[in-house]
Amino acid sequence: MAKGPTPLERFIQGILPENPVYRQLLGLCPTLAVTNSMKAAITMAGAVMFVLFCANVIISLIRNLLKPHLRIVIFTLTIATFVTIADKFLAAYMYQMSKTLGPYIPLIIVNCIIIGRCEICASRQSVITAGADAIGQSIGFALALSSIAAVREILGTGMFFGLRVLPAAWPDWVIMVLPPGAFLTFGLLLGAVNWYGDRKSKTGN
Amino acid sequence: MGFKNSNIVQAWLVLLLCLCFGSALAAVHVVLSPAIEANKINETREQVPGLVLGEEKALEMAQKGEALDVVQHQMAVEKSGRKLFYNVYEALISGKRIGWVVKTSGAGYADKIELLVGLDADADKISGLYVLGQKETPGLGNKIIETEWRGQFIGKPASDALTVTKMGASKPIEIDAVTGATISSNSVIQIINTALADLRPALKDKQG
Amino acid sequence: MNYIIDISLIAVGAALINNFVLINFVGICPFIGVSRRVDMAFGMGCAVTFVITIAALISWTITTFVLTPGAPLSAWVAGFFMPAETAATVDLTVLCYIVYIFAISASVQFVEMYVRKYNPDLYKSFGVFLPLITTNCAILFACLKIKDNIVGVDNPADAWDLGRSLVLAIFGGVGFTIAIVIMAGIREELDLCDVPKPLRGAAITLIVAGILAMGFMGFTGVNSGLEKALTAGTSGAEIARVNSGLEKALTAGKAEQAAVQNDNAAYAHKGIVDPLNAGHERETDFPEMERTI
Repeated sequence: MAKGPTPLERFIQGILPENPVYRQLLGLCPTLAVTNSMKAAITMAGAVMFVLFCANVIISLIRNLLKPHLRIVIFTLTIATFVTIADKFLAAYMYQMSKTLGPYIPLIIVNCIIIGRCEICASRQSVITAGADAIGQSIGFALALSSIAAVREILGTGMFFGLRVLPAAWPDWVIMVLPPGAFLTFGLLLGAVNWYGDRKSKTGN
Repeated sequence: MGFKNSNIVQAWLVLLLCLCFGSALAAVHVVLSPAIEANKINETREQVPGLVLGEEKALEMAQKGEALDVVQHQMAVEKSGRKLFYNVYEALISGKRIGWVVKTSGAGYADKIELLVGLDADADKISGLYVLGQKETPGLGNKIIETEWRGQFIGKPASDALTVTKMGASKPIEIDAVTGATISSNSVIQIINTALADLRPALKDKQG
Repeated sequence: MNYIIDISLIAVGAALINNFVLINFVGICPFIGVSRRVDMAFGMGCAVTFVITIAALISWTITTFVLTPGAPLSAWVAGFFMPAETAATVDLTVLCYIVYIFAISASVQFVEMYVRKYNPDLYKSFGVFLPLITTNCAILFACLKIKDNIVGVDNPADAWDLGRSLVLAIFGGVGFTIAIVIMAGIREELDLCDVPKPLRGAAITLIVAGILAMGFMGFTGVNSGLEKALTAGTSGAEIARVNSGLEKALTAGKAEQAAVQNDNAAYAHKGIVDPLNAGHERETDFPEMERTI
């Protein structure tokens, strides 16, 4: 087996160069659904971080025992267990938030980021690398989520984390907190990221 | 690699993992489910004093450290051959009933609207309204959650059906619509009307 | 009659008002990945509808008979180990996510095997999508919605039966198909357009989806109008019996309601058709462009 990237490389790659949302277009469902307020986006990112970290570590620990055809089943079992734990925890200690996030917490189970990281990294590399990879990817996910949520919340309600930042005369762009705003904001931000990436690679050459 | 390919090892691995995860889930369930249940119940119960007594009086009581007794009833009503259930909360001060809170829901403009309606002890007047859940359009329909709009309902008669008006309410049974959200306002009023029409006879029966 | 009203409201709600893709954002991955050609998109839509229906059937059965608090089967099994009163309150809802995801995986596997063996032509046309479907959020989302309407309701009489659950699943799948086919149609036209380079691919697809979502938002409120139309049409007498004042309120509200609904329908119509029209106009523009060149 070829030697994979080191923990540090994995960690750094997850944040920007291989950002799960902007670069790999994974995990779009929560990216669009829960980004109408910063609080919801951060809670979501936290839940994903918990699930991804635990799943990556456990898969990495048992990676030498897994047969190919059982791999996906075990991934799913592990992920579903940790998602249930995260869901119950939110319902017990952050009840209003868990009501706001609704079905999107259980939908983490089918979030391609997690199963993808288990497959690409955790089932091949050591525990430390897998853990670093999980944290890097989750930070990348959190950054992507909060960038979208910041634009949507500020333009849509004139507030940031529930605190008013724009003058009261600001006419709230209600469309930004509604579903179409999610598609438009993410589409334009994705375009901006692509544009920036292109320019950087051109000047680099 | 022979070890890895043995089906027995795989079977044991899956079984072991299932056991571990199963016990982890059981532990989480045992530890957290009382808190979750309490959250669900408190969400409604916390609103009862404010709805029955009015916000100011409820605050006053809370400062004095007094508390209402809240008893939950499930009432069944026969309506066109179908049995309907309502969750009703009875508010008591030292054994004497001071009001009711009715939990009800119905279709709004976007999605289901869940309401708590406060009534006085004889179920004759509305003493308050609280919106538990709604997904109306932000900026328009979701103004139904604002205290100012909800305040209109205080003191309205529960015996007659309420109506929505856009001209400024003049009659006792009229409610001002939220600007630009007549349907949301109408939905709220119809949910209240239906619930009260269904429940008032039953609440009156409980008088004695 | 109430049942038919309920069913039609659930159907319209799942397919249009709360469209799985455009309003609830589930199933975005195939929506962006498999929407390049209309026939592929339609195949994907059919595959999802098929699997979602089977998954709903399985998850409704398991939820009702095993998972929900006091479910008959789990209470019966628990009855061997504990006294009857405690057995009747056994609550297995904590297991529901694991059960659903395995129900979905298993049904996808079985559907794949069955189709491959008995209908190879069909397998060729949509078999390639089947493995993708396991990680499609739309299916788990439908299962969760069914669960919320069985476990989460205040009184047991309101819990959804199999019919309602299947209608939600089928029309959710239909809504997904509608969205992905419209998207594929637009993208086929979009290939002929000069899109700025950074926006090409996913970015422009998302922006177009945003405009489509605006169109679908126009369906909001259709359900209350539909409910009123159906109730008024079937049991006007019942309304009169409930409360005389209530009827007055109803008729007063109806005119406004109708006006707003017409508006809504118009918006919705525009929202969906406009991008398509725009595409066609562009297409007809091409010959002229060539001439000028």
